[in-house]
Amino acid sequence: MIRVQHLTKSYGSFRAVHDVSFEIERGEVVGFLGPNGAGKSTTMRILCGALVHDAGLVEVAGARLPHQGAAARARIGYLPESTPLYRAMRVDRFLDFAARAKGIGRGDRRAAIARAVEAADLFGYLGRRIEQLSKGYRQRVGLAQALLADPDVLVLDEPTSGLDPNEVVRIRDLVRELGRTKTVLLSTHVLSEVSELCPRVLILSGGRLVADGSPRALASVRRTALLVRFAADLGATRGSFDALEGALEVEELPSARGAALRLFAEDADALAARVLALVQRAELDLVELRHETPTLEEVFAAHTSGRDERFADREVNA
Amino acid sequence: MNAVGRIHAVLRRELGAALDAPSAWVAAAAFALALQTLFFFAGYPIGDLRFPGLWEGRVASLAVLFAWLPPLYAVLAPAFTMGAWAEERRAGTEELLLTWPLATWQVVVGKFLASWLLLMVATIVAAVPAALVVASLGPLDWGTAVSGAIGAALLGAGCVAVGLVVSAAAREQLVAFLVSALLLAGAWSVALFLRVVPGSIAEWFYLVSPQAHFLDSAARGVFDTADAVYHLSLVALALLVNWRMVEARRRG
Repeated sequence: MIRVQHLTKSYGSFRAVHDVSFEIERGEVVGFLGPNGAGKSTTMRILCGALVHDAGLVEVAGARLPHQGAAARARIGYLPESTPLYRAMRVDRFLDFAARAKGIGRGDRRAAIARAVEAADLFGYLGRRIEQLSKGYRQRVGLAQALLADPDVLVLDEPTSGLDPNEVVRIRDLVRELGRTKTVLLSTHVLSEVSELCPRVLILSGGRLVADGSPRALASVRRTALLVRFAADLGATRGSFDALEGALEVEELPSARGAALRLFAEDADALAARVLALVQRAELDLVELRHETPTLEEVFAAHTSGRDERFADREVNA
Repeated sequence: MNAVGRIHAVLRRELGAALDAPSAWVAAAAFALALQTLFFFAGYPIGDLRFPGLWEGRVASLAVLFAWLPPLYAVLAPAFTMGAWAEERRAGTEELLLTWPLATWQVVVGKFLASWLLLMVATIVAAVPAALVVASLGPLDWGTAVSGAIGAALLGAGCVAVGLVVSAAAREQLVAFLVSALLLAGAWSVALFLRVVPGSIAEWFYLVSPQAHFLDSAARGVFDTADAVYHLSLVALALLVNWRMVEARRRG
């Protein structure tokens, strides 16, 4: 549905996106991660036709950008960052305008608006001015607008930023529902959202694509660890843990009662079996044994903590 | 739906937004008030042809009314066009327009037609009562009135097109208003100097002043096709520049 090859975009001398390539198949829900200024919004705006790239190939729903821009834009629903809307307009009039501007014919318009209103759960708010709505409802108007032409692809730029927790949950449910029938690319800073909604994650950093895979696969690239906790001090058996096969490093953790260890391992499952064997042999009071997979936060930090070399010159000059 | 439908959608939204905001009403009311006062009482004391006000001069002519349109349009047209692009830009809604499947030229034309229509309605509301008063007092030359009205429509189109270009360049609508009002007032004052500058310079003055193409002909009841071509070319050029400016936003 979306094909991006060697995408590059600069603003003046600032390289916002550099040599980014990825493909998204029909029906995928993909999370777009990266620190502020990583190039997420720039990439999304290029996909939606608001910006034209400098180099590379961009194809959306079979239409090449920018030349077949109108064809591509007809198949995309886009929710821009911070949800720009005609705030003085009433919700129903805004949606009617959006439907007409998108070229939805007179016969289909009413049905298209009704469908978008239902999907975004906006009943009861149609007669209100957009500026009177809460941020969560404005976000829904933005989504309804994006859904009007029944697009194949949805591009959502930080759809839950700035919302209260209840509204976040509602928008997430909505995105999950939409992901069943549509290709969705969404950017966010909330990593739990990605692990919840997106089977696949793209991480951008410094304008480059630094990771592409499922959150689980990305996490497993990092070493995993076992956490073991005992009711009593280990005493002499502490040394046996260092000697366990496959334990790369053993770390003692502060514990109010008893003892706790973190064992880093390449193969945590095999190590767990050996730990259990040791526990039985030494008759230790084991109270907890669990796998510690790195959180998405750790994956994110590992991929994006490098210096953004695009800013390097400016810092020297400053 | 075809291009006409999309242009119509933009036109409707622009009109709705204008009628929803107090600024358009205030500007139109001030324009109507100023035009009545100037026509009935003040006359036209500027330039080589001076006219007294209607009550004083007692001539059944709309010449004074048409003579005042250029300077008043210099303020009224920018009031209608100032927000057209500057406000879209400030609110970020320009991004919606750029990413919806409608062509930029359709938005440009829709916005132009909306502002032009507003200007024409404001002019009709302000001028028709004055014309009827004159017609009831004496024999009004309807030929001159019609030629002046067509000329005013063309001049208004030019003013609106210029105002839209300035709005597309400005970040804030207040700046757009001030700059386009200054530009149009400047072009009007250039028209006033035509008689006093040497011929070669006057030719240049004549070229850069849309108002000169109205004051010297249509406003006096002499309809000149060349002036119509001038105004239509100005509108076409301004809309083209407007279109290029908005398309340039896609380049970042």
